[in-house]
Amino acid sequence: MLCKIAWHNVRRAGRDYLVYLITLTLAVTVFYAFNTISVQVDIAGVSDQNAGMGDLLGGIISGLTVFLALVMGFLMVYANNFIMKRRKKEFGLYQVLGMGRGQVARIMALETFFVSLGALALGLVLGIGLSQLMVFFTASLFKTQIADFRFFISPSALITTVGCLAAIFFVTLVFNLRVVGRARIVDLMSASRKNETVKTRNTLVSAVIFVVGATAIGVAYARLLDQGLPYDGTPDGMREFFITTLTVVVGTILFFFGLSGFLLKALQAARGLYWRGLNMVTLRQLAAKVNTVSFSMAVIAMILFLAITSVTTGMSLADTMNNTVERGTPVDYTRCLVYWGRRSVAEMNNNKAYSEEEKTYAVADGPVDMMKAGEKDTVEPDTSDAHPFDLSSIAGSYVQVDTFDSTPRGADLPLVDLAELCDAVDMPLPAGTENSDMTMLGLMVITESNYNEYLKFRGMDPVELGENGYTITSDMGATVNDIYNKVLGEGVELEIGGRTLRPVQDHVPEDASTFQNAMMGMNSGTIVLPDDLVDRLDLPPYYSYLLVNYAEDVSTEEGDAYINAYRTYGDVTNAEGASIAGWGQEATRTTTYESVDSMNGLISYLAIYIGFVLVVACAAILTIQQLSGVADAGKNHRILSELGTPTSTIAHSVLAQQTVFFLFPLAMGVAHSAVALKVIIELVSLFGGLSIGGTVGLTCVIFVVAYGGYFCVTYLMSKGMVRDAIRARHTL
Amino acid sequence: MASATSIGKHMRREAPAGTPAPAGTLAPAGGSVQAPAAGQSAAPRVLDVQHIEKVYGSRNNITRALADVSFSVRKGEFVGIMGSSGSGKSTLLNCISTIDSVTSGTVLVNGVNVTAFRPSRLTRFRREQLGFIFQDSNLLDTLTARENIALPLTISRVPARETLARVEDTAQRLGITEVLDKYPYQMSGGQQQRVAAARAMVTNPALIMADEPTGALDSKNARLLLECLEAMNASYQATVLMVTHDAFAASYTHRVLFLRDGRVFTELNRGAAPRQEFFNRIMEVVAVMGGEGSDAL
Repeated sequence: MLCKIAWHNVRRAGRDYLVYLITLTLAVTVFYAFNTISVQVDIAGVSDQNAGMGDLLGGIISGLTVFLALVMGFLMVYANNFIMKRRKKEFGLYQVLGMGRGQVARIMALETFFVSLGALALGLVLGIGLSQLMVFFTASLFKTQIADFRFFISPSALITTVGCLAAIFFVTLVFNLRVVGRARIVDLMSASRKNETVKTRNTLVSAVIFVVGATAIGVAYARLLDQGLPYDGTPDGMREFFITTLTVVVGTILFFFGLSGFLLKALQAARGLYWRGLNMVTLRQLAAKVNTVSFSMAVIAMILFLAITSVTTGMSLADTMNNTVERGTPVDYTRCLVYWGRRSVAEMNNNKAYSEEEKTYAVADGPVDMMKAGEKDTVEPDTSDAHPFDLSSIAGSYVQVDTFDSTPRGADLPLVDLAELCDAVDMPLPAGTENSDMTMLGLMVITESNYNEYLKFRGMDPVELGENGYTITSDMGATVNDIYNKVLGEGVELEIGGRTLRPVQDHVPEDASTFQNAMMGMNSGTIVLPDDLVDRLDLPPYYSYLLVNYAEDVSTEEGDAYINAYRTYGDVTNAEGASIAGWGQEATRTTTYESVDSMNGLISYLAIYIGFVLVVACAAILTIQQLSGVADAGKNHRILSELGTPTSTIAHSVLAQQTVFFLFPLAMGVAHSAVALKVIIELVSLFGGLSIGGTVGLTCVIFVVAYGGYFCVTYLMSKGMVRDAIRARHTL
Repeated sequence: MASATSIGKHMRREAPAGTPAPAGTLAPAGGSVQAPAAGQSAAPRVLDVQHIEKVYGSRNNITRALADVSFSVRKGEFVGIMGSSGSGKSTLLNCISTIDSVTSGTVLVNGVNVTAFRPSRLTRFRREQLGFIFQDSNLLDTLTARENIALPLTISRVPARETLARVEDTAQRLGITEVLDKYPYQMSGGQQQRVAAARAMVTNPALIMADEPTGALDSKNARLLLECLEAMNASYQATVLMVTHDAFAASYTHRVLFLRDGRVFTELNRGAAPRQEFFNRIMEVVAVMGGEGSDAL
């Protein structure tokens, strides 16, 4: 019996439940589809090249799902409150007719259950369909080929999804039962009589609040642009950043709190506009609503801000890596050797006293021949198969680049550092470089002849420094390179080793600055000096890079295979047998590309997942608020119709109000994001610039479609509600 | 029976005769005939209701809310429609105001048949020709009194300057200038109703329809509102059609139509009689109608 009532209720209150159903269905679809990631990665062939990827992504995503389910749960409670509010009288009636509270609660629970079940069924069907399509998306994100496509259903994703939905269901249920359990019958019965008391505030006060809010936001923007992010994590920086954050949050809330008053005040000043058609009705209605929903508008603006910022940053970062990877991987294979510095040698030799180790350490006299150093290492030494790791067996052309520390032996300060260059061109030290190598250790140094060898190897024209020339190489991208470019462009003279040097180029040769395969820029500044000057300065070696292209008759696969199978990291010693260097980063072109693709895929995946769910949640809240507003305004719409307002005019008024509610939080979120992104870009551009486009554009389109879709649904449903309200006869 | 048009003391005798169903159909026939009374013969007809019928429900379950109702109202008249609940008065008002459609018959306003209008035309007609006053004032709760009164004008796109001037003028006449910048919830019920009255007449409509305007008011405020309507009628030549079940309210009108079971049962013309006397006559008819009802049981 109760079941029957509940079922009929769901069907009758279909429209109220529709938003609830759509949102829950979307949640289930997205939850399921994204949780099948580990299976998708398998089918898309990502795990072939990146074994741990599926598990890693799967783990992160299922963790995220729990968090997002929580968000969804509270959204559902909100949606449900809306339905409950409109049906209080009905529940009161059940009780007046002699139904116990328990029975009413059971009806409520059953209704929620039916809708949840419907959403689950619908969502799973859509989710299973979507996950098949997503395999192709995954493959394109991770740049892999789909080996064998097959239809799949992931039991683990199914369990996660059902679990989350069950959790959402129970949270909703608890809240509903509280509403039914607490309410007195008399309140339930009179609920419809007074839906919402119209609170009006002094419009002048509101306008002032608005101005204060807008000012606070402006101040926060200025502070952020001025101070940047507290990347170094100093207490002072964190405190300033906290103040900025607080200012913008408070500003946003005040902005929306006073928005209606300000709009009202501003438009009342324009008499011709205010006293025209339904304009004043629209504005007053807006004002009455904004009073009650201003806080949630502010929260939505902040959530949208978080979604936009994280998605854009994440995906742009991935995009940037994609763009720079080509420049960042000039050759088939690179490895590098890190020479021990004076201080670390002293420290390590010191430590040796406390350990059993026999090894001694020393500062190298000069660069080591890396090709030869590797030959000394024996692969599988105790077997009959023992043989040296001999890169020359696969190498075609190769070159070794040796960089030197710019602090001469025996000296304490570098000959040239970033801060000094910044001073010379009157630019601030870029954000995040205060404690970096280029500031503390100074720029690296490379000889003209060695650099020209490198250029010849890369097939580029040599540089001609002459007696007193210099130039700077770097592949770090915008911020740092801006400084170097200015230094070179303005012809800043450097005083090094008693010689006055002038730049021979007017900008950094970015394409000829990469010494090792990497996802992002690694050369933060290497100054090219005449050979004789470097000799005379007596600089200790710092890094040596070996850049290898495979021989013509060695395929990429064969070359990679040889390196993967035999690479060793043997000791690099001087004539006395003391260790002078350790092996550093090494990478084949293939692994660099693959790790970029994987990173790219990972970030894009998470960004889309989080962003999509947050955007849908925001849009759903707005939709529910608007629909409840339209329901409350039913009487007003009827009066307007009786006064002879065409239905289309009333609909336009509703549309104008909803546009404000949907657009303002979005605009605010976008504005916050734009400022935040500007600062983030400054920081991130240290690693080679940030480009916003490509995938980001596509993601934005998806989000706008989701947000806009909710907006359209809201308007269409509102139009129906307006029509119904008008049709109801005014007296009987 | 055609002489049932007459008024006054004959009433008591005629009324019972008119009540049987077939006879009832005849009674209103005189409705339009008797218009010359009240000395308004010169004025043009604003409203002409001809044989309208309103049927609700489906084939098996028919409710005849209005059965062949005919009457007319001339310009500057203040006409009351009385009847017990369920007699069809609200349906009649809804049909005239085009909020509801008639099943058959025609309604002419200023000689134009409004029952034949398309929906879009109806909206314009309501906006330009009719003014409404309801039992609950039906003011928009988000607007101030000034904005509520201005609403019909802004909807018709009257320029702002003229709108504000007309609102001010109307408010002055109805004595509500001091509440112009208040919201409905800050006003008393009587003030709300007077604001509603101002909204109804600010457009100078052909016909003002009042549906139980005093229904929710205490006697003092009811009197204030009725005097207000009377003044509007007298000084503006505004034509008012008021539905009420309250004899006291009806006594302010020039003429009262009594509705029963969807038909015009009879009608009373005030003539030059003072209000108190007219009130007594109305009470007599009400008593007869009530008595008749209980007899029938």
